[in-house]
Amino acid sequence: MTALDRTGVNRAYADFIATFGSVLFAVSLFVVWGLLTLVGVVVDQGKDFPTYVASYGAPLARSIVRLGFDNIYHSPWYVGIVALILTSLTVCTFKRVIPARLPRLHPVAIEKIPLHASFEADGDEAGVRERVATTLRRRGWSIRERAFGGVEWTFADKNNWARRGVLVAHIGFVIIAAGTTMYWARGFSGDTAVLTGQAVRVPQTGAILRLDRFAYKIQPILTKSGMVYQPIDYVSQVTVTGNDGVPRTLTVRVNHPIDVDKTLYYQASYGFGVRFAISHNGRPDLERSSRTLFEGDSIDFPDGRTLSYERFVPTMDRRSGLPAADPRVNDPGAILRASVDGQSVGEAVVPLRTWIDIGDGWRVTPQRYVLYSGFQYRYDPGIPLVGIGAFVLLLGLLISFYVLPARLFVRVDRAGAQRWRVGVAATTVKGYDVFEQEFQKLVVALRPG
Amino acid sequence: MKTPLDEVLMITALGSYVLAALALLVYFFSREEWLRLFGAPLAVLGCAAQFAQLVVRFETTGIWPLLNLYGSLSLFAAMAVAIFIGFAIRYKLWFAGGFVLALAAIFLAYGITWNEGTMPAVPSLQSYWAKIHVPIVVSSYAAFLVAFVFSGIYLVKYYAERAFEGAPSARLATNTGAAFPPGATASVSLRRDTPALEAAAAHGNTVAAWFVALPTLAQLDIVVYRAIAIGLPLISIGIITGAMWAKEAWGAYWQWDPKETAALFSWIVYLAYMHLHTRHAWRGMRTNWVSVLGFVSIVFCYLGVNIWISGLHSYKV
Ligand code: HEM
Repeated sequence: MTALDRTGVNRAYADFIATFGSVLFAVSLFVVWGLLTLVGVVVDQGKDFPTYVASYGAPLARSIVRLGFDNIYHSPWYVGIVALILTSLTVCTFKRVIPARLPRLHPVAIEKIPLHASFEADGDEAGVRERVATTLRRRGWSIRERAFGGVEWTFADKNNWARRGVLVAHIGFVIIAAGTTMYWARGFSGDTAVLTGQAVRVPQTGAILRLDRFAYKIQPILTKSGMVYQPIDYVSQVTVTGNDGVPRTLTVRVNHPIDVDKTLYYQASYGFGVRFAISHNGRPDLERSSRTLFEGDSIDFPDGRTLSYERFVPTMDRRSGLPAADPRVNDPGAILRASVDGQSVGEAVVPLRTWIDIGDGWRVTPQRYVLYSGFQYRYDPGIPLVGIGAFVLLLGLLISFYVLPARLFVRVDRAGAQRWRVGVAATTVKGYDVFEQEFQKLVVALRPG
Repeated sequence: MKTPLDEVLMITALGSYVLAALALLVYFFSREEWLRLFGAPLAVLGCAAQFAQLVVRFETTGIWPLLNLYGSLSLFAAMAVAIFIGFAIRYKLWFAGGFVLALAAIFLAYGITWNEGTMPAVPSLQSYWAKIHVPIVVSSYAAFLVAFVFSGIYLVKYYAERAFEGAPSARLATNTGAAFPPGATASVSLRRDTPALEAAAAHGNTVAAWFVALPTLAQLDIVVYRAIAIGLPLISIGIITGAMWAKEAWGAYWQWDPKETAALFSWIVYLAYMHLHTRHAWRGMRTNWVSVLGFVSIVFCYLGVNIWISGLHSYKV
């Protein structure tokens, strides 16, 4: 490397430190971080392109998908901005926070500090100094004395330990970031739906989850704006077989997940699978009738014909033939949609155990429903770290906001025979205004008489 | 028909807030001491009635009353008034009470429009976390409301000073220094931070004199800082307890749900406030604008997300 290259590298390094060590730059990063966060609030996340087109129009929808705003929190922008903030945090800690919050003892020009006062005191120098030190000690200040260039200085500190509050807050944020990264590196999550009486194998863990029974409770309540059907409880009785091969019967409810080999399973949703009886020209088609369909599933027929089971209707309004508001199963039906070559040719609400003809001799009867329970599962090894980080961050915030470290600089100069002029200045980590009243009281206490 | 006790208490609270707001608003402009003596106890009465109402509602229904907008806005108004009363007593700030109480009354009245009667909680809200997370988050919003009011007063005084800077009297302004004990010399330069207003007041300008009687800009700024220093840790605890609850209810401590992310946005705004406040050149007008923006983001997070954006946190029935 030539000397010129080295200068270039040094200059780039200096620029990097100056930029990333600036609080205003950090705040600019916060602004970008905030704006990206807001994008995710406003733009529905994880939807497909047609949904965005329907909501925002094609040109905007294209930009949303192209810029990754449909999954903003996992986009390079978002990860990048958090990485920049962490870099800035690290640089700032060494460049600014430590020098600003943990300054060495050094002499100051007392009159240049906005919070300063001076008064005269009689006696010998040692006596005057001792009086000042004793008064300060009595008020909880810890005293250190140092000489600089032959001048004796008295430094008094209050809450010196709390100068580290910012460091604690910053470390908390770094720990949270580390915990989150652990999930990305080693954790997993997923969801699965299990029909009553059936079992699924969780691909990531190999655990087998069998749904023995699912029950829900919905209570109709007459409110001021009409009848509301309030869900009260969802309960899944499951038999789970984990790594040890021993089946266990457990109950999963909302707010009460179960833990199987450190992976947690949560009650997430429920729904209705439907068994169909299908016949062709009067002859039962056993193969097509053998499946239980989930909402959204479909059955294919020859000639590009498809029948999809769109949604379960727990209670039908027989008069209008439309779904009623009551989500409890009273008079059930299913919304079925027929398509040909992907083009919808009709949709109908079909009561259970009644048939519809979809053409070409095919007759479909939604026979009976089977409840299913939807589970989410998640293994997150970063949780303890995130928890510790949150605690540390909070501690840092509380120390930074509620404990005010202050430093007094005291200098005693001769003002005449046996007369001394005592100069006192105060600094705090939060400027001068917050300490003004206390400083005034202190000066009153320090003055002789 | 007999009015239930909780409704009586609610009417008492709202009525007290409206009267107290009117009295303290007039006090703000007139400085008539009797108005403060009339408004302050009414504010205390309204606040006490609100807390009593929440307790009565819980006692009579057995349902935690904060799980819909009616209950949570009610606590928000009560906490904003409670925090303000704490500040007013500690730092002698009753002059600003009219604004806080007017906002509390508006939010409370709006909350009442969401009263749907007694409703049991949906399964995901049936958790002890509801008893911890909701009051903390709502209290943080309340602290930010108090900060917002003082930022508003700060900014009005700040711009009044700018407006008076061009006035002839401003050129005669002197910085006489702070009142200090006799025998001690001192310069606390920040004390006199509106010299143009002071000069105009000395020349008999009543508007300027009225502004000068308000706390100094530095003092107002400290009040805002203190209110945000209550709100920011509270919203942090709120986000953390929310994450713990989410982990139990939905399976992941962070789901990027619109409500969570809106709260994160507000957290970032107030974090920016705190960082800017450490810089001398930014402390003051600019940080107070950030505080105003912060409260706008809180209103969006609190009401905007519930009403306009559907997600796991939309408790609308
Ligand atoms: C993102 C998470 C962060 C958190 C939670 C955080 C938290 C805090 C807190 C609580 C304070 C004390 C404020 C006060 O006492 O009023 C503070 C101060 C400070 N922070 Fe941060 N901070 C973060 C990021 C950053 C970044 C990225 C930088 C990089 C420049 C930075 C630099 C500073 C500086 C320089 C101070 C003031 C030190 C002083 O002058 O006394 N912080 N921070």
